[in-house]
Amino acid sequence: MLNKSIFDALKGGIPRDARSAGGRRAAALAMAAVVAAGTIGGAWAGSALASCSPIGSPLKALAAEAGKSPVVLRVCNWEEYIDLGDWDEEETIELDSGDIIGENSMVKDFEAWYEETYGRPVKVEYSTFGTNEDLYNMLTLGDEYDLVCPSEYMIMKLMREGQTVPLSEHFFDPSDENNYYINGVSPYIKRVFDEHEIGGEPWSRYAAGYMWGVTGIVYNPEIVSREEASTWKIFENTKFNRQVTIKDNVRDSYFAAVGALKADLLTSEAFTSAPDYAQKLEDEMNDTSPEMIAKVQDYLQQIKDNVYSFETDSGKADMITGKVVANYQWSGDGVYTLDQAAEDDFDLAFAVPEESTNIYFDGWVMLKNGIRDNADKQHAAEAFINFCSRPDNVVRNMYYIGYTSVISGGDDPTIFEYAEYNYSAEEDEESEEYDLGYFFDEDGKEGEYVIEAPPEMLERQLYAAYPPDDVMRRSSIMTCFDEAQTASINQMWINVRCYNIKRVPWWGWVITAAVAAGIVYLAWIRIKAARRKR
Amino acid sequence: MQFSRKNLGIPYVVFLLFFVVAPLVVLFFYAFTNGQGQFTLDNLVGFFTDANTLGTLFYSLAVAFVTTAVCLLLAYPIAYILAMSELKTKSVIVMVFVLPMWINFSLRITALKEVLTLLEGNLARYPFLNAVIGITYDFLPFMILPIYTTLSKLDGSLREAAMDLGADKVQTFLQVTLPLSVPGIVSGVSMVFLPAMTNYVVLDMLYNSTYIMGSLIGSYFSAYNWHGGSMIALILLAIICLFTLLTSNGEENGERGGALL
Repeated sequence: MLNKSIFDALKGGIPRDARSAGGRRAAALAMAAVVAAGTIGGAWAGSALASCSPIGSPLKALAAEAGKSPVVLRVCNWEEYIDLGDWDEEETIELDSGDIIGENSMVKDFEAWYEETYGRPVKVEYSTFGTNEDLYNMLTLGDEYDLVCPSEYMIMKLMREGQTVPLSEHFFDPSDENNYYINGVSPYIKRVFDEHEIGGEPWSRYAAGYMWGVTGIVYNPEIVSREEASTWKIFENTKFNRQVTIKDNVRDSYFAAVGALKADLLTSEAFTSAPDYAQKLEDEMNDTSPEMIAKVQDYLQQIKDNVYSFETDSGKADMITGKVVANYQWSGDGVYTLDQAAEDDFDLAFAVPEESTNIYFDGWVMLKNGIRDNADKQHAAEAFINFCSRPDNVVRNMYYIGYTSVISGGDDPTIFEYAEYNYSAEEDEESEEYDLGYFFDEDGKEGEYVIEAPPEMLERQLYAAYPPDDVMRRSSIMTCFDEAQTASINQMWINVRCYNIKRVPWWGWVITAAVAAGIVYLAWIRIKAARRKR
Repeated sequence: MQFSRKNLGIPYVVFLLFFVVAPLVVLFFYAFTNGQGQFTLDNLVGFFTDANTLGTLFYSLAVAFVTTAVCLLLAYPIAYILAMSELKTKSVIVMVFVLPMWINFSLRITALKEVLTLLEGNLARYPFLNAVIGITYDFLPFMILPIYTTLSKLDGSLREAAMDLGADKVQTFLQVTLPLSVPGIVSGVSMVFLPAMTNYVVLDMLYNSTYIMGSLIGSYFSAYNWHGGSMIALILLAIICLFTLLTSNGEENGERGGALL
């Protein structure tokens, strides 16, 4: 919950009020501290009063008092999911709107920027998590964070459990130029966050997007055709026996299995041209009926013997070294894989299955058990989101981690320029038009944001980083299932991965019996020998 | 309070309380409760009635058994040859066997992955074999060292006596050397068998997608089922206790037997 006084101040719509309200609070605190600390005596109290009273402005008092107590902001993000700095000098990104290079880590730069902008020091305690479930378990165990960056379904879960703090109204005020998020978020993403609700409240009330993407298949075009890679059925394709990897997590595998099982329906003309296609698609892809779960279990058990592995991270390297020919991938990691392979002059491509693709978002949410009604913390947390959404910082993060930011930049051309810098053709090269209007244009119009890209780019990084319209049309959000559904899907997954005792062959039991008999026999002669010696 | 040597044990007792006893209590609590915090035996019954968890136990035991057998077959001759030889460079050769342990584990397995790919063509076709090779590679030194130590401490006059009394080489080995080296074998086996049941990282890295006990426990925890996960951990603990109990008895007997011979 928001602090009452600051909430009223923010409602006034004048962003500076936030600071002075915080200032007033801080000044009051400082005064209280001075009174309470009377016994500590002269020097400290004297200096505090001296710096406070002559100026008389609460804002200045904040600055003075703040020198002693930085706001501590505990941020928890995915591993390697922010610019950690230390770039080589030749890594500079040269854009028309200015060169970009990361010297310090984003976190250090934020601390400096915050103090400069708001006149009060902030200390960021930055930590990381490996999976959404890890983060959730850490929170259950009592770890406290102010700002975390899980995926959309985990945001939904946290929202549903009432663990999140709503973003302040000031955060959505476009008149404050430091509100980089609301001024720069892609209209497309903003709509998704506004339109999707959990428990009657839109995501956007609690969550600000960070990175997004779709799921698809990275493949080696010399061995796998684009058609073969454009379906979830690739995992059952015996032509690539033991040469395709699938994700080692239940949600991604479930989505792929549902897509493959329902392929005929999902790609039928009647289904795709239905007026309520988007809604119907989401319903079909989020089908968790017991019959569907049972079918998925059979299906996954069957493809387990056809795929190379269930992987979390090794797939990228195996793709580059050529151990596998196709690999289930999130688009951001897809871009990374393609880039890495290209460095060795090895061309890979990215395809999105025709049935449907899982569009995912990672976003920032503030947590109640971290913020604890502390308005200063909340202010710093929102400022952190805004700082990460500043166009030059967005480019730094995108460059560093390879994922696509939800920020399009608004009036600022930096991010579109960065897309052009990455993907547009050389002047004397053959090129094709690639329209990014849906993502960059305020009204989603076509024509204004067009990249002249080399033709092969349309099947590679550009296609993965900013998927085209038709991919977006068949994208579906995988919702946060309720507890009973989650439990049965998780159990299904464990069943898939376990070795069923019914599969033990007859000779397995014979060997087991022989070994057991041997052990019993050995034990018996030992006991007998021991008795005899006594 | 007067200082006594016993006081030096206090840090360890504190360590024991915080990192062994307390987690165990928590483990027991979760294993025998359900989501509402009520006492239940469902988790225990569930484990032994589910074909999948039982199958995983079977699979883990199979991996561990085969691995231990392979380790023993590889390690014993090496340890024997080394211990019996008169080489001055013995310690160097022993070091060569221990050397891999100085290199980071995941680095070693990554290298092994490449070697196996070279040999097998496609790793994923031989998941069980890979698991056995990987764990053997990882734990072989733990089998060699105790056997080597036992054998090299063996009093050579016992063997000479056996030969003097008319035993041939094979008889001497089977009736003198082998029984006397049982303590080494037992400690080697327990150092390999138990970790092999849970060392799922090797399986993961070598693309065996079947769960063994370690990964099964992990999967319960990432599915938020702490109760089921704790119960499996507890069952594993019980198996380990049983195993240790059996082998430690054996060890005592072995030593006594050695002394009597």
